[in-house]
Amino acid sequence: MNRRNGPRAPRDGLNTIGRPMRKVDGLAKATGRARYTDDIRLPGMLHGKILRSPHPHARIVAIDTSRAEALAGVHAVVTGRDMPTAYGIIPWTPDEYPLCVDKVRYIGDGVAAVAAVDEDTAIAALDLIDVTYEELPAYLDPHEAIATEAGPYIHEPRKPGWNGNVTKVVKLEFGDVDGGLEDADIVVENDYFFEGTTHTPIEPHCAIGLAEGNGKLTVWSATQVPHYLHRELARVLDVDPAKVRVIQPPVGGAFGGKSEPFDLEFCVAKLSMMTGRPVKILYTREEVFYAHRGRHPFHMRYRTGATREGMLTSVDAEIVLDGGAYASFGLVTTYYSGQLLTAPYQMPAYRFHSTRAYTNKPACGPKRGHGSVQPRFAIEVQLDRIAECLSIDPIELRRRNFIGSHTRTVNDLRVTSNGFLECLEEVERASGWKRKYRRLPYGRGVGVAGSTYITGTNYPIYPNEMPQSGVQLQVDRSGRVAVFSGASEIGQGVDSMVAYVVAEELGVPLEHIRVLAGDTDFTPVDLGAYSSRVTFMLGNACIEASRKLKAKVQEAVAEAWEAKPREVLLAGGWAVRAGDTGTSMPLREAFNLAETKFGTLGATGSYNTPKDVHGSYRGATIGASPAYSFTAHVAEVEVDPETGFVTVDKIWIAHDCGRALNPVLVAGQMEGSAYMGFAEAIMEEQIFKSANQGREGLHNAPSLLDYRIPTSLDTPALESLIVESIDPEGPYGAKEAGEGPLHPSIPAIANAIYDAVGVRMDALPFSPPRVWRALQAPDGGRWAPGRAKEVVGVGGSQ
Amino acid sequence: MEVVRLRVNGDERVCGVPAHYTLLETLRYGLGLTGSKQGCDKGDCGACTVIVDGRAILSCITPVWEAEGREVRTVEGLANGTETHPVQDEFDLNGAAQCGFCTPGILCSSVALLDGNQSPTREEIRKALAGNLCRCTGYEKIYDAVEAAAARLGP
Amino acid sequence: MLRLPPFRYHRPGTVEEAISLLARFGEDALPIAGGTDLMPNMKHRLFTPAHVVSLNGIAAMRGIGAVNGPPPASGNGRVSRAADRHLRIGALETLADVSRHPLVRHHLTGLADAAGLVAGPQLRNMGTIGGNVCLDTRCTYYNQTEFWRDALGYCLKKDGTVCHVTRVGRKCVAAHSADTPPNLIALDAMLTLAGPDGTREITAADFFVTDGIWNTRRARDEILTEIRIPIVERRRSAYRKLRQRHSIDFPLLSVAVVADFADDETVAGLAGVVSALGARPRVLAGWGEMAAGERLSGDLIEALAGRAWSQCRPLDNIIVDPEWRRAMVPVYVRRALGEVAGGGGLREGAGE
Ligand SMILES: Cc1cc2nc3c(=O)[nH]c(=O)nc-3n(C[C@H](O)[C@H](O)[C@H](O)COP(=O)(O)OP(=O)(O)OC[C@H]3O[C@@H](n4cnc5c(N)ncnc54)[C@H](O)[C@@H]3O)c2cc1C
Ligand code: SF4
Ligand code: FES
Ligand code: FES
Repeated sequence: MNRRNGPRAPRDGLNTIGRPMRKVDGLAKATGRARYTDDIRLPGMLHGKILRSPHPHARIVAIDTSRAEALAGVHAVVTGRDMPTAYGIIPWTPDEYPLCVDKVRYIGDGVAAVAAVDEDTAIAALDLIDVTYEELPAYLDPHEAIATEAGPYIHEPRKPGWNGNVTKVVKLEFGDVDGGLEDADIVVENDYFFEGTTHTPIEPHCAIGLAEGNGKLTVWSATQVPHYLHRELARVLDVDPAKVRVIQPPVGGAFGGKSEPFDLEFCVAKLSMMTGRPVKILYTREEVFYAHRGRHPFHMRYRTGATREGMLTSVDAEIVLDGGAYASFGLVTTYYSGQLLTAPYQMPAYRFHSTRAYTNKPACGPKRGHGSVQPRFAIEVQLDRIAECLSIDPIELRRRNFIGSHTRTVNDLRVTSNGFLECLEEVERASGWKRKYRRLPYGRGVGVAGSTYITGTNYPIYPNEMPQSGVQLQVDRSGRVAVFSGASEIGQGVDSMVAYVVAEELGVPLEHIRVLAGDTDFTPVDLGAYSSRVTFMLGNACIEASRKLKAKVQEAVAEAWEAKPREVLLAGGWAVRAGDTGTSMPLREAFNLAETKFGTLGATGSYNTPKDVHGSYRGATIGASPAYSFTAHVAEVEVDPETGFVTVDKIWIAHDCGRALNPVLVAGQMEGSAYMGFAEAIMEEQIFKSANQGREGLHNAPSLLDYRIPTSLDTPALESLIVESIDPEGPYGAKEAGEGPLHPSIPAIANAIYDAVGVRMDALPFSPPRVWRALQAPDGGRWAPGRAKEVVGVGGSQ
Repeated sequence: MEVVRLRVNGDERVCGVPAHYTLLETLRYGLGLTGSKQGCDKGDCGACTVIVDGRAILSCITPVWEAEGREVRTVEGLANGTETHPVQDEFDLNGAAQCGFCTPGILCSSVALLDGNQSPTREEIRKALAGNLCRCTGYEKIYDAVEAAAARLGP
Repeated sequence: MLRLPPFRYHRPGTVEEAISLLARFGEDALPIAGGTDLMPNMKHRLFTPAHVVSLNGIAAMRGIGAVNGPPPASGNGRVSRAADRHLRIGALETLADVSRHPLVRHHLTGLADAAGLVAGPQLRNMGTIGGNVCLDTRCTYYNQTEFWRDALGYCLKKDGTVCHVTRVGRKCVAAHSADTPPNLIALDAMLTLAGPDGTREITAADFFVTDGIWNTRRARDEILTEIRIPIVERRRSAYRKLRQRHSIDFPLLSVAVVADFADDETVAGLAGVVSALGARPRVLAGWGEMAAGERLSGDLIEALAGRAWSQCRPLDNIIVDPEWRRAMVPVYVRRALGEVAGGGGLREGAGE
């Protein structure tokens, strides 16, 4: 069932889908012709800069911009008072402004912006803006933020008597958790800490605003959510939405870091409205670290019960999320911290209690694997501990608890296809697990972990019943098919995916397909590149549109051939009569016949989710998805016990993506995901200075030198093992591959470290000082050099 | 504004720039060669890598004056007329460019490597690319592409 | 973008012209070689020279070659044997060229490894050995943007009045973070400085001082033109660099060792230098006496490593667990000594 990506024969009657193919934008990207936002230069363009707060928490007493305005070359200055409408990506928690109005809440919060003839002048103007602050006590620790009883809170409490430092509390319980723990033969209880990490796309955020005399406003932005940006720009700036146009050029990486509106987008728009000139703002790398919205630090406690046979009886979780200064997607994150844990293992009883605190640091939000990477780390290490206690092979333990396909989870999420067992089998085989687990010499080890992830959220961010994704096709007389797609290409290959679908359905060669995407003036709405939703939703929309068009072509050709429409096959650039290869015509002629018969050829398609896939309790919709992907990893590591260095030699990644529409792109997503998980496991930390490090709340070091992301020399060998479960509702059976395969990297590495040297790493990252300290601890290392590791029941027999 | 004369991708270019412009700023904003990217602007990421006198260097921390009188090659100059460089084609075939933002810099490092070593091992490729951060691919597909290009270029 | 502050660029063709430009503009001028340290520092507004004097047009500052005779003034004698040849490296030679040069590789393994472990490939193609020797000290509170340092409240080394590392001290303890100098010190290298009053020679060991604000004895209008390193028979050297990432990373700790062996493989001379601690690389004391006439056995290596540990105390100038960094001193010393003892067998792992 698995394969390395390589050419292969058509399967299931598919001609294009499932083969390795070039991307529609591959050549443009390999020749430097792809035009990213900062590559765009408009005539008369001004350059903007944003003044940022040097305080973690302070009231803005006064802002005087007059000196800046007087500087030669400065065209406009804006402050929060010019855009006093609150927004927030989640409609229930609007708590930020394009620029701060009364208060700043972290070092780096935007306070004012200028537009000037060039960047140097804009920077000089920032120095001339006088802001008077009244400093307030800052909260850096989420526990302290929650414990406080008086304030001043980071945000005004939404109701009197509430704690303004709390974004959201979620408590959900399914089944008899306490009973399950009591009945368990063993209960494993541990604390885990997941350090915050950030997305670090190589392209810094950039936006250009252009307001024209007729009231039209165009914003180019490196965003993954043009539709939400469109809505918020119109609402916050009070512009008729029909006059707002958002253009999303190719995006140089995002990973969730560009999935909500940011200050620069409002500022370029507003500054352009004030000056009548186009205005560009490009973040410095430092500003990207302040904009953040990355992985929340999680403080977690898990109690997990199991029977002697290793069957889970109950899971109980207590979680505190360190949210940073704003809500961002935090309401959803708080739910996700618990809701997405209930597969691929059967949990008879489950409870989670999650609290998201505000702190005076850059806001956390969604990073690849939103909200579920942290608890996944904890639970998969819990499972490893249970396996250890019970002397059961950890792969076998996972098999025994497999939830199955076409079922419901304990929290009532509908699961359709599920290839998790094949994933386990693949990594077990490819990694040589049975030869290695507990059998490698001291210092080397292997670890396994599994996971699941959503294929899109069942509901849009703002309540509505309209489709989540739409596409429009248009055919001209040359045989060219244009696809107008609202989806956001951020490197994951969505523009190519729609072309593959159209090629498959209409039989058009790929080079005859143009994909026009990311422009709200010309494309139907797609909600954006987040939650791994695009292939599933847009893919289905695209099939629908293509089939509508195909039906017209078949009908027209059938008429000419005096055949039945279903006898007309479209493939390889030709219309061919089934069972009679002598009767054929080039597709172009077929399209012309159809245009003759039906008029100008076009079709739309859309997709909306099924509504019966979740329970009816409060919060049941969050975590619901039309399908779930499944993953298993085995990591092999080498630990240098003298230094604490962990070298991850290899990660085997088996992922059930439903169907690989293009295996090269699927493998690319799997490898990129595993890499990113590995990076969080071993080296990344978005951390802040404390008061005794000079300045409370100051980012530790906002640069790519000090926020270390792995280079080629650090990154392990990555082997992708694609598993296809062919989902009944996915396009050709496809689900997702962009986020799921990140999850198991971290616990697999943690478990491998244990296999190597016998220490449990329960706090991230597993950096050399931490591993070294763990090994130094009095109980550091269950096994020691020279002493054999205890071989547990490999193969599953006890 | 000062006038700087550069030899870029075989063309003699004359361009007016502020005296404190970097080579990257001059390429991107002075000459419209926006293929070279900026990811950190201070030498940490490799997105701005170009080839100067045959060697991969970082244009974001190169004062433009240091490029005068030297041969500058950017991603726009890797193709031979209408024929793309094999490594460009292999990047496309192997899915080595996801978001593509690190790609121009990685291509320049790769071409500088392949110009001096037509059959690099995977380990040599890894080492040659150790100054180019890619956040999307996990590097695996990039090595595949450079290896495949080497095979095409080789004897 | 991170913009450079405005400056004028000068490209003199000779050392004399460069010196006269530096002398003329005084505090307003800085020399630049590869620029890989100066440009980021200028972007961070740590330096805002009105004049930048490029050394890159000076052909006399290039070249690597063996020269007969000992280096001009002989070294300080830590390492035993007299040299009848030395290697001359022009200050403008890039780290890439130094690391790959066959003579360097053959005679000065530790130096070649160190040059090859600096930053990443592009930076080694740009960065020069002269710039590496003159590298500014580094500190978590210093190598940051103007905005960041303003939010912090600045520090002694630049624009402020307190040191955030020592908090009480009036001295900057920013870390010497260049990879090649510990080797040059251990190898008894001589540096040639050219200034308005002519040239002078100074040993690499004497070149550095403990003041993190300006940690060398180079006057502002002096230029490092070349480096001379004795070539000694039966000398072996090794370098170990502690860093969390295998590329694009400054040392968290660095160890250079040089040993001269007699024909019977007993130690005739031994030098060890540890850096990335404070502003000046630390020459390990007492090593020569401990090792003289002995074989570099496991026990001796252990004793030397212990001796090194007691002399090295990493600080919070780098935000990576100082206790761990200290514990790594004996480990890295042991590994470096193991390499020279083993005749350079363990060549691959210098980065760890
Ligand atoms: C991301 C990154 C990572 C790095 N990692 C490392 C690392 O791991 N190890 C390391 O050692 N370095 C590292 N560096 C620093 C730097 O690249 C090297 O130290 C390099 O050797 C500096 O040489 P240069 O020629 O570029 O110096 P320049 O920047 O040109 O000069 C550095 C300083 O020395 C002065 N100077 C230069 N040449 C002379 C001369 N001949 N005479 C007198 N003064 C002179 C300059 O005025 C300046 O103050 C890193 C830099 C970056 C940007
Ligand atoms: S050691 Fe102290 S004075 Fe020196 S750079 Fe660091 S904080 Fe500033
Ligand atoms: S932009 Fe030049 S190295 Fe990052
Ligand atoms: S392809 Fe996106 S950073 Fe490399």
